[in-house]
Formats: sequence, C-alpha cells, structure tokens
Amino acid sequence: MKGIAKGGKKRAAVLVGLGVAGLIGVGMLSSGWIAGAQAQEKAAEAPKTLALPGKAAAEDLEAGKSVYFRKCVWCHGPEGAGDGPGADRLLPRPRNFNQGTFKVRHTASGELPTLDDLFDTVTHGLPGSAMPSWEGILTDKQRRQVVEFVRTELIKDRDFTDQETETLTPISFGKQVPTSKESIERGKEVFMNKGKCVECHGPEARGDGNATQKDEWGFPIRPADLHKCWNFRGNRRDPYNPANIFREVSTGLNGTPMPSFADALTDEQRWDVANFVISLCPKKQIDTQTTKPLNDFVIRAKFVEGDISGNPDDPQWQEREANYIGLGGQITHKPRNFVRQVDDVWVRALYNGNEVAYLLEWDDRNKSVGTPESMAKAVSYEETPPAGQPIALRENPEFHDAAAIQFPMKWESLNAPEKPRFIFGDAKNGADLWKWEVDGKVGAFTGTGWDQELVAHGKGEVTTPFAEHKDGQWRVIFKRPLATEDKEKDVQFVTGKYIPTLLMVWDGHNGDAGRKMSISSWYHTILEPPIPTKAYIYPVFAAVFMIGLQFWVVSKVKNGKKKK
Amino acid sequence: MGKIWIPGVMPIELLLILTAVFFAFVIGGWVLKKQGRSIPKFWQALLIWVAAYIVLRYVLFPPIPSALIKTYMGLITLVVFLLVSSDEESWTEFKRPIMDTLGGATPTHRGVRTVTMVALPALMAWGTWSTVVPKFEEPIELRTVHPAPPASVKLNTGKTFTLQTAQNPFRVDESGNYSQNIQQEHVNDNPFDPNASKYMQYVREGGAIFFQNCHFCHGDNLNGRGMFAFAFNPIPADFSDPGTIAQLQETFVFWRVAKGGLGLPREGFPWASVMPPWEQHLTADEMWKAILFEYWHTGFYPRTWD
Repeated sequence: MKGIAKGGKKRAAVLVGLGVAGLIGVGMLSSGWIAGAQAQEKAAEAPKTLALPGKAAAEDLEAGKSVYFRKCVWCHGPEGAGDGPGADRLLPRPRNFNQGTFKVRHTASGELPTLDDLFDTVTHGLPGSAMPSWEGILTDKQRRQVVEFVRTELIKDRDFTDQETETLTPISFGKQVPTSKESIERGKEVFMNKGKCVECHGPEARGDGNATQKDEWGFPIRPADLHKCWNFRGNRRDPYNPANIFREVSTGLNGTPMPSFADALTDEQRWDVANFVISLCPKKQIDTQTTKPLNDFVIRAKFVEGDISGNPDDPQWQEREANYIGLGGQITHKPRNFVRQVDDVWVRALYNGNEVAYLLEWDDRNKSVGTPESMAKAVSYEETPPAGQPIALRENPEFHDAAAIQFPMKWESLNAPEKPRFIFGDAKNGADLWKWEVDGKVGAFTGTGWDQELVAHGKGEVTTPFAEHKDGQWRVIFKRPLATEDKEKDVQFVTGKYIPTLLMVWDGHNGDAGRKMSISSWYHTILEPPIPTKAYIYPVFAAVFMIGLQFWVVSKVKNGKKKK
Repeated sequence: MGKIWIPGVMPIELLLILTAVFFAFVIGGWVLKKQGRSIPKFWQALLIWVAAYIVLRYVLFPPIPSALIKTYMGLITLVVFLLVSSDEESWTEFKRPIMDTLGGATPTHRGVRTVTMVALPALMAWGTWSTVVPKFEEPIELRTVHPAPPASVKLNTGKTFTLQTAQNPFRVDESGNYSQNIQQEHVNDNPFDPNASKYMQYVREGGAIFFQNCHFCHGDNLNGRGMFAFAFNPIPADFSDPGTIAQLQETFVFWRVAKGGLGLPREGFPWASVMPPWEQHLTADEMWKAILFEYWHTGFYPRTWD
C-alpha cells in the first residue's frame, strides 16, 4: 500500500511536469523561439559569399510599386531619393535609396545588403526613427514585393544582379561569447582603447564624443547613445540581444562614420563589446508596439529620515528605483518641436518631514548655454517650414538647456480627473512650474495658458542643490518644502495622495526655448506613506492562528486513531 | 507563456483545449488502470486542480481577471470534492494520504507534515502582508473617446461650417462636383501619377500635409503609433481601426481636426490631449485635404447622415 502511494506520487509529478513542458513547447513553437534558434544556426554555417539575387519578377515589381506609392512614398519620395513631402521635418532623414547605401546589413562594409536584410528592415522598422514596423500591416509577400521594387527601380547607382561589380560577403558570427561580468569588462576595455569607440560614443557611451558629424549626403548625424538600446535602428525589435550589436560592429554602418571592425577586432572582442553595450541599457519592459520602454505612471517618492542628500550618487538616491518617463516633441502649438533631441527622462523622488526632492536625469550630448543676444530671440523662435532647409544640428547652442516639473495649482480642489492643460495650464486651472535653466536660475512660475507668459511667483522655495552636465548626461535635483505660505499658487504636498506631475526638458543646441521643448503627459507623484504598524502585526496574528489550527487538527487525528 | 493563442478565436480554442485536457485525463487514467497502476484519488484530484489552474492562468488569451480565476477555481474545487466524495470508498481513498500525513504514519509522512506545518503559517503571513501593505497603482481615469459634437465649427478665420450640411470640398469628380462614389473609383490609384485625377491630386496634397504634420503621433500607417505616441496619454487615435474615422461623419472629423484637444468637452479630457487645434497651423482647405487622404489611405468611407 505504502509503495503504491509513493509510486503514485512520483507518477503524478511526472505527469504534471510533462503537461507543463508540453504547454511551454507549444508556446515556444508559436512564438518562434525555435525558429529563431534554427536561423542562428544557419547563420553560423553561412558560406563565404552569397549568390547575387536574380532579376525581380514583373508581377512583383508591379505589386511592390503599388505598395510603395501608398505607404512609402510620403517620406522616401517618388524617386526614392529620401525627399518625400515628410522628409524635411525628420531627423534622421528618410533613406535615400538611389546610391544603394544601407546601414543595417549582414554583409561586409561597403557592400549592398541582402534582400533578407531589406525585408527585415521593412518588417521590424528602424526604432528611434520615423520608420515603423510594417509587420501586420503589409503581408510577408507585400513586404518582399516592395523590397523587390525598391532594389530594382529606386537603387539607381548599383545593380543587385551585376556579377562584375557586386559581391555579398556575409559576416561570420563566430562563436558567441555569452555575457558575463568578465566579458563586459573586456568589452569596456576594447571600447575605451583598442576599438576607439570612445572617440565618437563618448566616455560614458552616451553618444557625446563627437556630436557634430555628417553622413555621406552631408546631413548631420550623431553617434548612438548606447544607453538606449530600444532606439538602436538595427535592434530588430529585440533590443537586449547582443547579436544585433555584434552585427553592426562587424559590418559597420554604410554611409555613416561608423566603420566595420571585422578586421580590427577578433570575433571574441566584438562579442565582448556587444555584451558591454547591452549591459549599459537599463532593463525595462518594452512595449512591443512602440518598441519603447513602458512609462512608469506613478512617481513614487520614498520617505527618508533626516536630510535629503543633494548628491545624486548618495545611496539615498541610488537605492531608489528610477521611473522612466517618455518625452515627445511639443507639436501642439507653434513653434513645434518636430525633432526633439531629448526623448526620455529618468525620475527619482524622496521626501522627509519638511521637504520633497526630485532627481531628474536625461541624456543630452552637449551642455548648451545661450548668449544674451540669442536668448533675446527665444520668444519669437520660428518652427521649421514644411519645405524648408533640412534641419541642421547646431554646432553652437542657440538657447539655454532647461528643465521643468509642472503641477496643478490647488490640485486638492480639482474635480478629478480634471487637471490644468498639459502645456502651462489654462485660465480656469493654473499650473505651478518649477523651472531650472542652465545659468542656475531656478524658481516657481504661474502658467495660465499655452499662449500666456509664465509669471514668477514664490519666495525662492524651489532650489536645485545639484545640477551637473557630465559625459552627455544632465542630472538635476529639485527641492522644495512640502508646504509653503502661498497655498493658492504653490503646489502643497500631502502624503498618500496622487498629485498630477508633468515634465518638460529643453535642449539649447536643438533650438529649444519657450514652447519648443520635449514634453511628457500628466503622470502622478505620490509620497508613499510609511508602512502602517498593522501591516507588521496582522501577518503575525495570521501565522499564530494557523499554527494553532494545525496543532488542533493533528491532535484531533491522533486522538481519533487512538480511539480506533 | 501567455500569448499562445490568437485573440478573437478564443472560444473555439478554449473548447479544443478543454476537450484535449479531458481526453488526456480519461485516456491517461484508462491506460494506467489497464496496467494496474491507477493514480490514487488524492493525486487525481490535485492533478485536475493544477491542470485547471494552468489552463485558466497561462493558456487562455486574452488573460481573464484574477477575480474570475478565483471564482472558477472555487467552482472546480467544489466539483472535485463532489467527485471524490461521491461514494464512501472513494472518499476514504481520497483522504487516506491526508490522514496518514496528519497522523504521521511513517517517517516520510512526518517529514511532509513538518514542512507543511511551517509552510502554511508562512504562506498565511505573506498573504496577509500583501493584502494589508498599501499599494500605489495609477489612478484609473475613464475618458469619452468620441464626445458629442457641436452643431457648427467656427474657425479662427471667421469661417463657419455647419456639421449637418458641410461637405468635404475636395471629395469631387473631374468636373468639381461633390461625389460620394469618387473614392471607390480610385481605391488602388497612384497619387503620384502625373495623370492623376482631380480627386487623386487632392489625396496627394492631403498626404503631404499628413506627413508634414500628423504622422508624428498618428503614425506612418495612420495606426496611432507614430514616433511620439509612446509619450502621450491619451494615445493618438488609430485611423486604421474600424472604431474611429470609419464610424464618424467627415464633418465630425473636421471638427476634431480644427479644434483639437482644446475644443474637447470635459469628458474628453481637453487638459490631457496633445491634439493641436489645427486651425492654428493649417487652412480649412488643408484640413479637408488631410481628412480626404486619411479616408483614402485607410480604405474606409466616412459615415453619411442618411
């Protein structure tokens, strides 16, 4: 009897295990993991050179053309010269297909991409640019067809089928070096020294090493900020996969200053660099539709005993989780910011018995300090006309870098979910803005509408004990007493309540000033109340009760047995 | 796991899953019985319970709310109890391992008992902690997506459009007359064709306006997933969804375009919408052309008054 009971247990466990494994298997199959693994194996045993594709079929060209002139032409232009109606308000600009110069490839530097490379670009889009993923919008067949059309009709200076001039040499992935502390260390060493990556990408790899370069067409181009893997053009919507970095380091990016390191670095070194680059990217859940991290909707301020540190490297700050908040360009009112350079800000918040403090961190390649003459123009700044000169990244700053946190005035009396309008409030509901500028000026401002001047208020309660630009990153701490005298205009902080909060950042090199800025939506700050005592007592009670109950049941069973 | 099944066809798949699980149990039970190694009642019950939980929690897509899972699991617990207590013999068999453990029949049973008696109070304490400790989720704010329109729109230029009677001045045939059927005739045309019809030329002009102004939020495919969309809440409207422009009159869309977020009534959250009042940036003609393009590109037709 005992034996059977035991065997039964084992069998049941095996059955449950099998069931779970089966379900996982189905999941893997349908989510393409297995298919992905097979593709990688294939890549590992790729031949020395690939056969050039043949001529495109006439019906594919016809169908591809129809797709192109409905979906692609608006940015890439009728002749594929990257000059469609939308082009001038984009940075990076749409690709000019005519020269056959493509960044994201599996082929050697200077070579054409494979048709699969182009297909993958259409499928996954180019994150961090306006090029979206067309998967689910165009069928596989349509994506193949539009690639056929582009490579046949719009690539004018080169010919995919020309055996004389063209070769396709696939890169070798070698043996992947799995990520590890050691590999990341080695990768950093290569990054800083042998690879010279640091020269363009900067000592902290925020793309601030040489921020005023030009691409092959003379348009401004910036080295990638390697802390934002979700913005890597070639991430194929798989931002934490080092294979994408390995590929780009090996092939180089045609048409840009990024060279191929296939000869300069060994396979192992390139994998190490790839592991290092991925290690820089904060791990966040990525929204599959936008390929950006999901925003943190609540900024949680944590209670600290004693003074709040004015040093962001203090453990007080570092132990706090940073909240990710995405920023869009302000494109609601003139002057609109079509090519905003700051696309996110990381926020931490702390409070004690008297004060609340926010630490804002955002990447900005240069510190911008405007001149008195240029700042005088900041009011009447014009936006880029639709068919104007392509946007140039300025070598000299036009205006001040700045940042602001906006709250509703008297949020306590607002009838939720009503708030002041997102940009500087409105006539009915005013906004309280804490604005800091690069010259050290900081203060509270009253906003009563997008078209109204901001008016200073308060008695200097808002301070910025820390504001530093270093290696392509701004870090600014805002501080203010929880309560102030002016209850009408100053936001008053109360523990445990949701206080609407919105962030704005200005990049002076991008010509940001006044309404031209990067802006978030309304989020909420909450001062997390200390955990109540009952939260510690109740679980103890529950456990004691359970223990008592168990002993009672066991004694019951034992007594019952004795009686028998 | 999670997204194994395609949304939209769930009911049929659910039936298939349930049937498969049922047959797996019946056949598995039968085979084991044939071999004379049937699973004891207690483990059968546990197996059914765990399998039900796996299906409810991990296999169903889209996921069902946790309150519903709890309800279903309660029902399943009840059914399992009814099943094992249907006759005296089965009930005795079911509770034997439990009684053995509680009574500490063998050293193994005593070990299991000790583990359980430590684990259960710990679990209770943890459960109580996670209920009592305060959590701070985002407040839920519900917004009306298509609020009631006004009777007419007065632009900042002074021009007024009555929503009941206004027509898109560019939805016209070759002779310049308003035509409801013109879009249908040009579904697959190339707007960049040098010999394009009047209508297609307007579509092209509208497309240019869209790709200089609107795509940043509404996206290159008009699906509300533009490059700035991730930063804004409410998220931009998805024109390729049959629930937006497809079920609105063209004049309603004109009102939304002309007045933007500023022109929304309170229930539409005017304070949160970053939709520009396009009258500040575009002429009335340009707005009509952009709307013309949105319908042509998505292949939807505006709703008509009759």
